[in-house]
Order: sequence, then C-alpha cells, then structure tokens
Amino acid sequence: MISTLIIIFFERRLREGTKIVLGIESTAHTFGVGIVSSDGRILANENKVYRPSKGGIHPREAAQHHSRVAPEILRTSISKAGVSLSELDGIAFSVGPGLGPCLRTGATIARTLALSLNKPLIAVNHGVAHIEIGRLVTGCRDPVVLYVAGGNTLVAAFNAGRYRIFGETLDIAAGNCLDTFGIKAGIGPMPMPEVVAEKAKSFVQLPYAVKGMDVSFSGLLTAALLKLKQGVALEDVCYGLTETVYSMLTEVTERAVAYTAKNEILVVGGLARSKRLKGMLDIMARERGAKVYTIPDEYAGDNGAMIAWNGILHLMFGMVVDVEDSRIKPRMRIDETEVRWFR
Amino acid sequence: MGEPTAIIRLGAEATIYALNWNGMELIAKRRVPKSYRHPLLDKEIRMQRTVSEARIISEAKKYGVACPVIILVDLEDATIYMQRIRGIEARDIIGNLNQEDLSKLARRVGVLTGMLHNGGIAHGDLTLSNVIVDEQMNPYLVDFGLATFTKDIEEFAVDIHLLDRSLQSTHYNVKDGFMQCFLEGYRTVMGDMLNDVLKKVKDIESRGRYVEREMRKR
Repeated sequence: MISTLIIIFFERRLREGTKIVLGIESTAHTFGVGIVSSDGRILANENKVYRPSKGGIHPREAAQHHSRVAPEILRTSISKAGVSLSELDGIAFSVGPGLGPCLRTGATIARTLALSLNKPLIAVNHGVAHIEIGRLVTGCRDPVVLYVAGGNTLVAAFNAGRYRIFGETLDIAAGNCLDTFGIKAGIGPMPMPEVVAEKAKSFVQLPYAVKGMDVSFSGLLTAALLKLKQGVALEDVCYGLTETVYSMLTEVTERAVAYTAKNEILVVGGLARSKRLKGMLDIMARERGAKVYTIPDEYAGDNGAMIAWNGILHLMFGMVVDVEDSRIKPRMRIDETEVRWFR
Repeated sequence: MGEPTAIIRLGAEATIYALNWNGMELIAKRRVPKSYRHPLLDKEIRMQRTVSEARIISEAKKYGVACPVIILVDLEDATIYMQRIRGIEARDIIGNLNQEDLSKLARRVGVLTGMLHNGGIAHGDLTLSNVIVDEQMNPYLVDFGLATFTKDIEEFAVDIHLLDRSLQSTHYNVKDGFMQCFLEGYRTVMGDMLNDVLKKVKDIESRGRYVEREMRKR
C-alpha cells in the first residue's frame, strides 16, 4: 500500500508538468467533487444527490443540500485522491447551464477555494464537460453526441471550433418527460418507467414529435398522462412512452450521423444509463456502420470528475477566469464555449 | 414500375433508388422499416409520412415551387415514385462557389422558400442537404418528409432558423452572406411578411434554445 503510494508520488513528480485540477459540480440534484490529473487519471469522484421527499426538484432546497454536504465531500475527495490542497493547479466549477441557487452554491465554494489557495479559477460549461468526460473514458474521438438528461436533450457534433447543436428539444428534456410521468403516475422517476414497461402486454400509440432534428416531449407527456386517466394499464403506457421517447432520440441521432457522416456515437447524461435506449442506438448504428460509445454509469449523470477533467483542458489552453468574471450562466449553451483542445 | 438500377442515396430515414420507367428517369423514395422501433409505431410513422410527403409535393408544385413531379405512391411499401432531379446537394457545392454564384444561388433558394411559404407550406427540414442544384445553378427543394400545411408564421420561421443552423454547423464562414441573399430572394415573394417572419425567428432564438447567444449578450 505504502509502496504503491510512493510509486504514484514519484510517477507524478517525474512527469514534468502534470497538472491536477479539482472540479465542483452543482447544477441541479448533484453536488460533486472530482480530482483529475492531466494524464487523464481520475483520482477522486465523490458525489451526493439531493432526493426530494416528494415531487420534483426544489431549487432552493437543492442548494441548501449542496452547501450542507459540501465540506464532507470536499474532505473525502481530497483524502481519496491523496493530494494536498497546495498540489492543486486549479479549481474548476460548473458555470452553467443549471438552476441558479445550485450553481451559485458551487461557484461560491470554488471562488473561495481559488482565492484562499491562490489557484486559478476555471469556469466550465456543464454540457461540454459531459461530452469531454465521455470522450476521455470511452476513447471515442470525433462522435455525434447524444446528450440526454433530466434537464438537457440535444444532439451535437464538433465543427469549426465548437460543439455545434444539430438538434435539441423544443420544450422539456427527455429525462424530465420520463421523470415527471413516473412521479405523477406514482412509481417514481427514472428508471422506474422503464422497469415497469418491461411488464407491458400491449403497445400504446402516443404522439411522435420529430421536427427536422428537433424533438418535442411536452405533448407526449400530456398524452401519456391522459391515457393513464382513461384507465389504460400503467405498464402499457410506460412501454408506449419509453419506446416513443427513445425512438425519437434514436431518429434524430441517426439524422445527425447521416448528415455529418461521422461514425461514432457518444451517449452522455443521466439517460445514458437506459438499457433500452442503448439497445435502439446499437441497432441503428449497426445498420449505418457506426459504433455507439456509452459512458459508464458512474460518469453518466452529473459528477465532479467531468468538471475537473474539463477544467484540466481549460487550464492547458489558458482558459481561466477572474473571480469578477465568474458569474453563473443558468441558460448557457454548449456552443458558447470554444473547444480549443479538440483533437 | 421499372427495375431499380441503383441506390443513389441512403438517407437517415429513406433509401432513394434510381430507376428507368418508359424512358423516364425516376427515383423511388422508400421509407425503410427501422428495426429499432416498435413495429406498430414504425409502420404508422412510415405510412403517415409517405402520404403527407406526396400530398405536399403535389401541392407545392401548384404554387410553382421547383420540386419533383410525383408519379405514383405505393403506401403499403411506403414508397413514392417521382421525377429524378439531376444535380448536387447544395451543401456539397456552396463551399466551392465564388461570391457571385453563391449570392445568386442563395437568392434563388430564398425565392423558392418564399413561394412555398406563400402557398401555406412549411418544409420542416430545410437544410442544405435538401436543396438540389442543377447544372444551370437552379435549386430544387426535395425531401418534404417533415413538411406541413400551415399558415403559422412560427413554422415558417422555424424553416429559416433550420437553414441558418445547418449553415452554422457546417458552413460557418459563408453563413452571413448566404442568409442575407436568401432573405433578399425571400422578400421578393413574401413582401412585408418578411418582417413578421424575421421577428418570429428572433423570438425563437430568444427563447434561449437556439443558436449562439453570444451575439446578443450585451
């Protein structure tokens, strides 16, 4: 044990210029701290998820949760990583998009750390961080990205210096649609709708809304809830709903793959954990000669490691911010960030 | 119908075959079953889109929009047989055009789009892949698979927004010039309606879901 630690220590010192960044994630439910080194090793990834006792997320309560758990998470991540605060080369945080109160909590902690330790402050785009951790851990190079989560649904690919959005939701996110349905139906959020769907006996048709490469889920959610009210069996509605949502996502991803002629598909975000979605994408990809890379569950949802890793990439290209310019951006888009490190 | 000779395009949702029918060059656009989708859902989507596309193309023709002539619709097989338009996709040539040709093409695409909208049709997937350009640089609109009959200015604005974004994601450097000429052409048909449509485009963008927010940050 001790010898391993010594080896790790020397390895780190031998590699001139290896950087270590601490990243703080706090855009929505999750408060997370990750510590990552510039050679791509994830030294720590500690996350705690706020779970409301009933209903959906309450921004202020989530923020209170985050400030309550922050000290403990920071402590464990630092001890797990086996680094001292002085060894850090930068402090990264999610600057957006997300819920204001949650973002502010993470940002405040990051600013405090950066100022008191005298380290560079790095403002990371949460959406871009999802993509970059996906590229790091799956090893894909230039994918069409399907980013599906509770708050975000989009299809993007790298072009001319940024991740460009090819398609996105016109209203609510795919994850939000499934979570809200599950909660209102009394079974709870994902993965429950997908679990219950496995017992379905017949397929219920629901509105399928694809416009070009964009998708829309709010009408689908209303229609699914209506079916339930009309007495259609819960498992059948779950089946119809999940099948329809995933088919729509697979269709727009396929369109982006056809349009960009790229042969890699990367799925990131909380909904990347869905087995059925992965299954559909696999079938589609096989027919197109493309390959699907799904992020491991640990890094699918929001997590600190992705912010730390994207912080490293920012740091290597001098993309740091002054505290005065580190205001949160709740409605930030992924194409707002220049992806200088892409290659 | 005649023997399909070759697959000329493998699109995201349809396969396009070339075939010869009594000396006439045709294409067959077949919406292929998607094995990832539930069979019921799949059949419904394919049939519904086939009917809608055929109906809209014939309607668009009435308003003089340059687009293929429909010959036959085979609903069971989700296939439309139509005139073959010889040319290249706009996305494959606009990077190689000189300023004058680019402006001319953009203006013509604007006119076509204006005629379509004026006739109460929104294309629904107006990207550069769906504009075919012939040797004389005449553009044709194809792939009406997601088109709708509508008088809703918002739907027209979505078309313009989609075109803008397709340029943004693949032809970033010529985008502004192209869009300017496109709108000139569009105005010749739509007249003052242009302003209403543009207002809607801005509206859509300001909802925070579209395009670069940087431009209007300050």
